[in-house]
Formats: sequence, C-alpha cells, structure tokens
Amino acid sequence: MTHLHIGFTPCEPALTLIACACSLVRVHKNKTLGSSAIDTLFPHFQTKRSNDLRAHRTLIVSLILGLVLAGTASAAPKRLLIDGSTSMFPLVQKLATAYHKAFPKLPAPKVGAGESDIGISDVAAGRVDIGDVSREHEAQDPSGLFGYKIARDGICVITNNANPLANLSQETIVQIFTGTIRDWSQVPGAKVSGPIDLFDREATSGTQAAFQNIFLGEERKITPSATAESSTGLEVNAVNAEANAIGFVSLAATIGGGVHSVAYQGVQCTLPNAKSGQYGGVRNFWMLTKGPKKGEAAKFINWIQADKKTVRSIITSEWIAL
Amino acid sequence: MDRALTRRWATGKTDQRAERTLGALAVAVLVLIGAMLVTVVIKAWPSFSHNGLSWFGPGGDVDTQIRAMAESKALPGRSLYYFRAWPLIWGTLLTTVGAVLIALVVSMLAAIFLTEFAPPAIRRVLDPVIRLLAGVPSVIYGLIGILVLARYIDNHWISNARRASVNYVVQLNGNDVMTATLILTLMILPIMVAITASALASVPGAWREGSLALGVNRWRTIWRVSLRTARPAIVAATVLATARALGEAVMLAMVSGGRGFAPNLLDGVTALFEPVRPLAATILQNKEGLTIPVLAHTVYAIAAVLLVSAAMLSFAGWFAKQRFHRYGLRA
Repeated sequence: MTHLHIGFTPCEPALTLIACACSLVRVHKNKTLGSSAIDTLFPHFQTKRSNDLRAHRTLIVSLILGLVLAGTASAAPKRLLIDGSTSMFPLVQKLATAYHKAFPKLPAPKVGAGESDIGISDVAAGRVDIGDVSREHEAQDPSGLFGYKIARDGICVITNNANPLANLSQETIVQIFTGTIRDWSQVPGAKVSGPIDLFDREATSGTQAAFQNIFLGEERKITPSATAESSTGLEVNAVNAEANAIGFVSLAATIGGGVHSVAYQGVQCTLPNAKSGQYGGVRNFWMLTKGPKKGEAAKFINWIQADKKTVRSIITSEWIAL
Repeated sequence: MDRALTRRWATGKTDQRAERTLGALAVAVLVLIGAMLVTVVIKAWPSFSHNGLSWFGPGGDVDTQIRAMAESKALPGRSLYYFRAWPLIWGTLLTTVGAVLIALVVSMLAAIFLTEFAPPAIRRVLDPVIRLLAGVPSVIYGLIGILVLARYIDNHWISNARRASVNYVVQLNGNDVMTATLILTLMILPIMVAITASALASVPGAWREGSLALGVNRWRTIWRVSLRTARPAIVAATVLATARALGEAVMLAMVSGGRGFAPNLLDGVTALFEPVRPLAATILQNKEGLTIPVLAHTVYAIAAVLLVSAAMLSFAGWFAKQRFHRYGLRA
C-alpha cells in the first residue's frame, strides 16, 4: 500500500509501457486488415495500404519516447526520508501526500515506521532526514538533535452510553485492559453488570501504541483476548453497539460518536483539557533533525508549522493542533 | 470460428504482423501475472524460510506474533519472524467452505425454481434483481453485517452465561464465524444462482421432453437430466464463488471479529459465536505495517498462500469440468 501511494517514481515506467501498448493498438487500426469481412464488421476501421510506413514510424517513435520517459523517471531529485514512531506514521503519511500535492515538483517524502527510538537512532546516524518521535526527550538520547513539535495526540477511554462511568483511575484501566478484572461488577461506578467486552485496535495502529504507552506503560500489554477493530470508526461503532464494551479512540473521534468518554484520573477527556495539559492522556508529536533543520527537511517542517489550511485540517481530523 | 476464414485472414503480410502484435499483448498479460507471482513469492520467502512448514501449523496466539513484529520486539525465546498461521487458515476454511456449501444448495434450488417453476412474470422481475445483487460492492454487505446482523446476534442469541464461559480466552460480541459465513453466503449467492439458472435454461428442451415422454416424473427429470447436464456450469459457478469468498477482505474484516482466533468445534454451539480472521482480512488489517520489513514479509507470505490457493482452485475447477464435459454441455 505504502509503496503505491507515496512512490510515484516506480509507477512511471509501467505507465509508459501502457502508453506504448495503446499506440500499438493505434498502429493496428491504421493498418490494412485486408478482408472485406473486416470492413463489414468494423466499418470505422480505415483500410488504406499506404499507411504501413507511417504505422511503423509511430511504433518506433513511441518506443523511443517510452524508453526516454522511463529513463528520466529514475533520475528524479532526491526524496526526503522520514521514519520513526508508528503512532505518528498515519499523520506524517497524510502530511507527505498533501505536501506532494501542494508542491508537485518535489517528490513526496518517503515515510517509514518503526519506533520512536528507531527514528532517533536513524536520524542521529544520518540514515533519514527526519525522525518522528512521539515521546519526550530522555537523558540517554544522542546529542545534537533538534526537535520540532508538530501536533499533539489525545486518547479517550470510551464506554457505551448505557454505562456512563464517571471516572477511571490509572490502576483500574490497567486492571481492565490487561485482563485482571473481567467483570463490570468489579469496577467501581459501573452501571452495567456481566463480562467486560474489551475492544482493542489492530497491532499496527498508532492509537494502540499510544494507548499502551500512556495508560499502561511500556511493560504491560493489552490482553490478547480483546477484540481488535481495524479502524477508529469501527471501534466507536463496536462500543456504541455493546452495553458491556470499553475501548479507546483518538479524542476527535469521541465528538458526536454516540459513546461516553470516561474521565481519566478525575479530568474529563475534552479538547480544552487536552490543550491545557490537565488531561493526562496526551502526548506530543516531535520531528527531529540532526543539527538545526535545513534544506528539504526544513522546507517540509516549516510548511507543517506555517500552513494554516491543509495541515490544520489534516491534524484536527484525528489529532490536536498546537 | 470457421477455420478456412481464419487462415485467409492470416495471409497478407500486414495481417501476420497484426496477429503477432496482438499475440504479444496477450502474452504481456501472462508475463505480468508471472511477474506478480514471482514478486510476491520473493517478498514472502524470508517468512517461509524462518518458519518452515510449521508456518501453516498451530502454535501460540497469531495476533501476539503480529504485534511483536509491529513493535520489532521478538517474543521471548523466538525469532522475530516466528509466525503460525493456522488460526487464519482455519478461519478462512470455516467461512469459505461454510458459505460455499450453503450457497451451493440454496442456489441450485433457486435456479431450479427460476427455470422450471417460476411464472414468467416473476422470472422477469427476479432475473435482473439477481444480476444486480451480484454486482453490489462487498463493503455494503459488510455494513449490513455490522449494523444489522452482528447486533441482532449479539443482543438476542448470545447469553451472558455463554459470554462468561469463554471470557478468559475470547470475547463473544456478534462479530463471529456465523455472521461472517451468513453474509459471505449472501454475497456469493447471486452469482451462483445466475450462472446455474442460465445453464439450466440452456439444457435442450428435447432432452427433458424425451425423459418425460419415457414416463419419468418431473422432479426426477430435473435431477437426472437438467442438473446432470448443467454440472460443468455448476462447477464453474462454485469455483467463481469460492474464489470470491477466498479473496474477500473488506467485508470479512468488518464482520468476522478481528481476532486471529481458531474457533474450537468442541465448544459446540459456542464455536459459532467465536471470532475468526481469514487470511485476506489479515492482510487488510495490517496494511499500515508494510514499512516494517519483518511484518511486510509475513503479509506477503499470507498473500502468496492466497494466490497459490486461488490458482489451485482454478486448476481443480478446470479439471472437474473436463471430467463432466463427457456427459454435459459446455459452460
């Protein structure tokens, strides 16, 4: 998937081939097919014998053109390389696509995903131009890296409207999501009873990684018996449909979603609380460069920080703008 | 086509050239398919070579293995490539075979009704409706699945006691084998009915009349003459439907429950309510992870298995049709 929509370059030779094929077909139409049966079958076909030569020329020219096009395609300017945090991957991916749309002459940045730590080590070693990092600076990080904050990410724990939990402490959230508590009767303030229906996101989801890091901590994992939904929308739908459900989504998805978002450590999960920093389920998205930002990387980061229209609408679709 | 005419066409020099270029284009399609197969197998190879034949076997929780790859942290004592696809394969088998078996019976009966019993007025309405249904995008079936069927099953058919009985292993919430199989059946049914009905309609009237004239009753005539003659077409319909069911990703990712879990048939009725995740849906759910090399190899390995099974299915269908051609019509 990723290769397809970021990578324009590898597609071009294929397009050229198709173009050649089309011109071949055109050659055909111009040529004699020599039988009156053809005339009656396809009266719009021209049947002039003298077109032979021209047909050849078209063929040769289009082949040469194809080769030349395929050649120039591989000589495109260098692409911006980005990798790092999986949670930031969907956002950066969208930004890269929009960036390529805004500046069609520049190749779309190539975005990879691994981990925040991989982003840090790769950018420090000069393997990529920008490292995506979704955690704060730590003492053991290599020096000489410059961070630029591009957005924030807030995550709400959601339950069904039939179960409007007032508050969840971090301890209870850990117990519920790691599978220590399996029945609502063990959760203080629960309005339903019966087994807890846990909704997770699939392994490669950024929200999943973020939830795990913020609410559970590095070491604990969500119990494998949880149901994994493959998108934010499906997660909201699942919790909306099921009285005993609990799940987590990006803050933006809870607005008008028909689900109850639970307060965490006594603070409501709302945009103002997330922006002010009172709500605990928030973290920053950083872009790191080796030394102060410069060249293509600076252009991309500046565009993200300065553009108020496209970038803002992309960020606010699922994340929190600065 | 008439042989003499073909030869006359192929005389003139230009025509020979035309034939050659068109032939080259046709071969280009073959080359493309071959290149696709080779690419997928090359990309899949690391996953197969690290796991060997156990790749297809059971062993541990498949979602935990995928998660380990996504986070690039190997499970304790395992290689990062460690992957056991049995739950996914089992899920694919359950949903596909279940749906095709139900659809086979229903489509044959529906096709018999359409060609033999239905009044012309009803046939005039049903024919286009069935063709229309065959073209409905699968995501729409998926929506009906999660918004209607899954909710209904969840609210009315699964008791809290049943939920609690397996709660420590797996959650029951209406997105399960049964919902997936039923929606899949609904999805492949129209195409099977359409193909079978048109084959039954093309059985020569004289054959049936001959059978009836010998004193054979109507039902037996349908069974022994019409259906038997239409067997190649029924095989073709089944192969097409199986291929569609095998490759269906979007709908199954929506309704099947999103857990790489292998329902245990020993659980009895509860097994019907247990979630699965077929191979194609797994590819879809992990598309975001294609930039992570190990996960990408694994996803390509799943794709290779699907591709090879689809190819084998086509060959099996072709082989079965060859055998039936001895008795029947060509489809």
